[in-house]
Amino acid sequence: MLTFDHVHFYYKKGQPVVEDISFTITAGEYVAIVGANGGGKSTIAKLMDGLLLPKEGSVKFNGLDTGIPADLAKIHKQLGFVFQNPEDQFITTTVMDEVLFGLENISVPREEISIRLHQALQAVQMEDYLEAMPHQLSGGQKQRVAIAAILAMHPQFIIFDESTSMLDPQSRKQVLSIMRELNQQGMTIVHITHHMDEVLLADRVMLLHQGRLIFDGEPYTFFETVPVGDYQLELPFAVRLYHQLHLTTPLTANWKEMITSQWSTNYKI
Amino acid sequence: MANTVLLGQYLETNSIFHRLDPRTKLLGLIIIMLSFLMLGTFLSYAVATFFVISILLLSKIPFYVFAKGLKPILFILMFTFIYNVLFTKGTVIWSLSFLEVTAEGLINGTRFVWRIVLLILLASILTLTTKPLTLAHGLEKLLSPLSRINVPVEQFSLMIVIAIRFIPTIMQELERILLAQKARGYDIAALKLPQRIFAYIPVLIPLLFTIIQRAEVLSNAIDARAYGNGKGRTVYKQLQFQQLDYWVGGIAVLFATTLILLELGGL
Amino acid sequence: MVYELQNLSVNYDDHAALRNISCTIQEGKWISVIGQTGAGKSTFVKVLKGLIPSFDGNYMIDDQPVIRDTKGRLKVIPEIGFVFQYPEHQLFETSVYKELAFGAKLQGYSNQQITEAIDSILPQVGLSEEILSYAPFQLSGGQKRRVAVASVMMMNPKLLILDEPTAGLDPLSRAALLQYLQQWQKQDKSRTIIFISHQLDDVAEYSDEVMVFHKGQLKGHFNACKLFLEKNELLEELELSLPEPVQLLKLVEQLCGRKVEVDSCKEREIFDKIMPIWHARGF
Repeated sequence: MLTFDHVHFYYKKGQPVVEDISFTITAGEYVAIVGANGGGKSTIAKLMDGLLLPKEGSVKFNGLDTGIPADLAKIHKQLGFVFQNPEDQFITTTVMDEVLFGLENISVPREEISIRLHQALQAVQMEDYLEAMPHQLSGGQKQRVAIAAILAMHPQFIIFDESTSMLDPQSRKQVLSIMRELNQQGMTIVHITHHMDEVLLADRVMLLHQGRLIFDGEPYTFFETVPVGDYQLELPFAVRLYHQLHLTTPLTANWKEMITSQWSTNYKI
Repeated sequence: MANTVLLGQYLETNSIFHRLDPRTKLLGLIIIMLSFLMLGTFLSYAVATFFVISILLLSKIPFYVFAKGLKPILFILMFTFIYNVLFTKGTVIWSLSFLEVTAEGLINGTRFVWRIVLLILLASILTLTTKPLTLAHGLEKLLSPLSRINVPVEQFSLMIVIAIRFIPTIMQELERILLAQKARGYDIAALKLPQRIFAYIPVLIPLLFTIIQRAEVLSNAIDARAYGNGKGRTVYKQLQFQQLDYWVGGIAVLFATTLILLELGGL
Repeated sequence: MVYELQNLSVNYDDHAALRNISCTIQEGKWISVIGQTGAGKSTFVKVLKGLIPSFDGNYMIDDQPVIRDTKGRLKVIPEIGFVFQYPEHQLFETSVYKELAFGAKLQGYSNQQITEAIDSILPQVGLSEEILSYAPFQLSGGQKRRVAVASVMMMNPKLLILDEPTAGLDPLSRAALLQYLQQWQKQDKSRTIIFISHQLDDVAEYSDEVMVFHKGQLKGHFNACKLFLEKNELLEELELSLPEPVQLLKLVEQLCGRKVEVDSCKEREIFDKIMPIWHARGF
């Protein structure tokens, strides 16, 4: 469980980046965070992982406080972070070393390391690239290695900070399906994104605007009640179509099924 | 451009050097390099050259890789050579107004350049046959006595890994910015000299900014993966001296001693 | 202007980046370039701009071979504008004004010409005059991106090449930038845009034509709508899924068992053509 309790953050006093934010994310949730560029999304993500510390209020993960150094070390072991640029987060020089890096950091016994290494690379289908170097991999492959490096550390919670934004559509699809699979296995997922169709995959969406939490709830309610254009966002295709057709049935992400079922039930003789 | 930087370009050729313990390679390299400082006579140069060439052949790395790696320092080599040729006193064999070329200068210049080339070839064997992380592990192990007097050896070794890892990335970035400014009509080569002094500003400022940005993400990535202060980490690939290491170490010592004896003996 | 490439091949150290490409780029069009990462899209546009000095084949502009220097290498072509990926990374001046004037000055514009050009470009990319004195680094991501694009537009290019210009922008900043680009292009019949993108929804919405690259080859140069409606096997081969509006059109065609004629593959057009069919079903 991750709790933000009246969190404030700023770089310069009087210019708040995050203002008085409180929420709780429980284990196993899949949360999307959206908002305009510069709205505070990335700051929130870094506050979650203790990469930034709140100026006021507190951030707690399973009772551990990011403000206490001893706790922070424990938080880093349980919470994974996938950054936006696949190039910049590749610390070492081969895929294998990259996964080893985290495992060595958290003092996993040597016998267990090789098991975890192979399991993690298998989960993202990169087990054939053990010796590959970063410049030999595509952006999507690097991003999958980044995920493997985190999975090997057996976290309970992973934050994806715009991790799909620099990928081509095929790689994006792969990463999204990995995320969904992990969530189904019980992992808590926080996904910061600009792609509105990705929001529909989540159970819960938070809208951040100018450092404030504007909306926190279910994605379908979000698109039905919030004037998204006011926050530099747009409706996903499924919702645009839903409005266009004036449908009254419940909104779902799978618009194809929505249309097909309507088509067969509503035939006028 | 990124490919011409030899440093950090590990190449898998499965030679005996790839199988050596990094500590053997590091120590061997230091011993041999020190002995190269003694090089003086033609005979010792010949022995050293023969030795380096044998090492190059044993490494199974194609020769063009070394040639490519020497290219960026060609300018320095030429400068060293010309400097020696012009500023060594001795028998004048050719002159043009105040410029004088001496026989001693030619010999000195050749020696200097030859020695630098030998040293660089040896050093590149180390980086071409050792993965940066292994190298850093080796270095960390060799320096570990220092950590008892609170020298942050682990962090130092991580720093080296990162430097090696990001040199090609930064070279790529530089290339990209150069191209982007060129596309905006900016061509450094076409500028006149007084302007050329400031010519690199449109390239260096953006480069600096992206490097700083990258460094920030990187330090976050290291923190997020629980590096802490680098103490108490498991070492997965443990270093262990094999029989081969003792042999190679022995040969390095033997070779260095021979060179020194050759010099002292004045042969 | 008409740009024409004949039998173009580009080889890098160890592989062929482009193989035997021939194509003609007519003026007054929005041409999108699609294909997987590493398919040769970037190399192709770099050749057009003259950033790749040596290659095999011919490059003609208005039936004239492009000028080469004495070593036979191609020079940068000034009348083509080129916006790189993440163009805000090339900004370096101390004010937006200087940044915009940078390229124009190099082309020999006078101060007055520069001021006039800035006055006309700023509103076209949705920036206000007050930011001229700001340092580029003070601006938001979307603004920086637009300054970088405007600095290229300043030189009044006839052909504007953009490599993934919307990557990393939030949805409305993205839509706004694309609309500015479209307005700029439509303003003058001789203006052409070449747009590299992975987002097929954007490609369908804005393009007149699409060039498809795969493994260094040009797989075809199509009318945009024709590509999406008729060349499905090609897109499947490239593992590209159709834009969502086109998927909708295909689904409706399948449901009602007949072809639905559309004039373009834009979302609005497809919605308009589908509504009557939908209403006829009794909704």
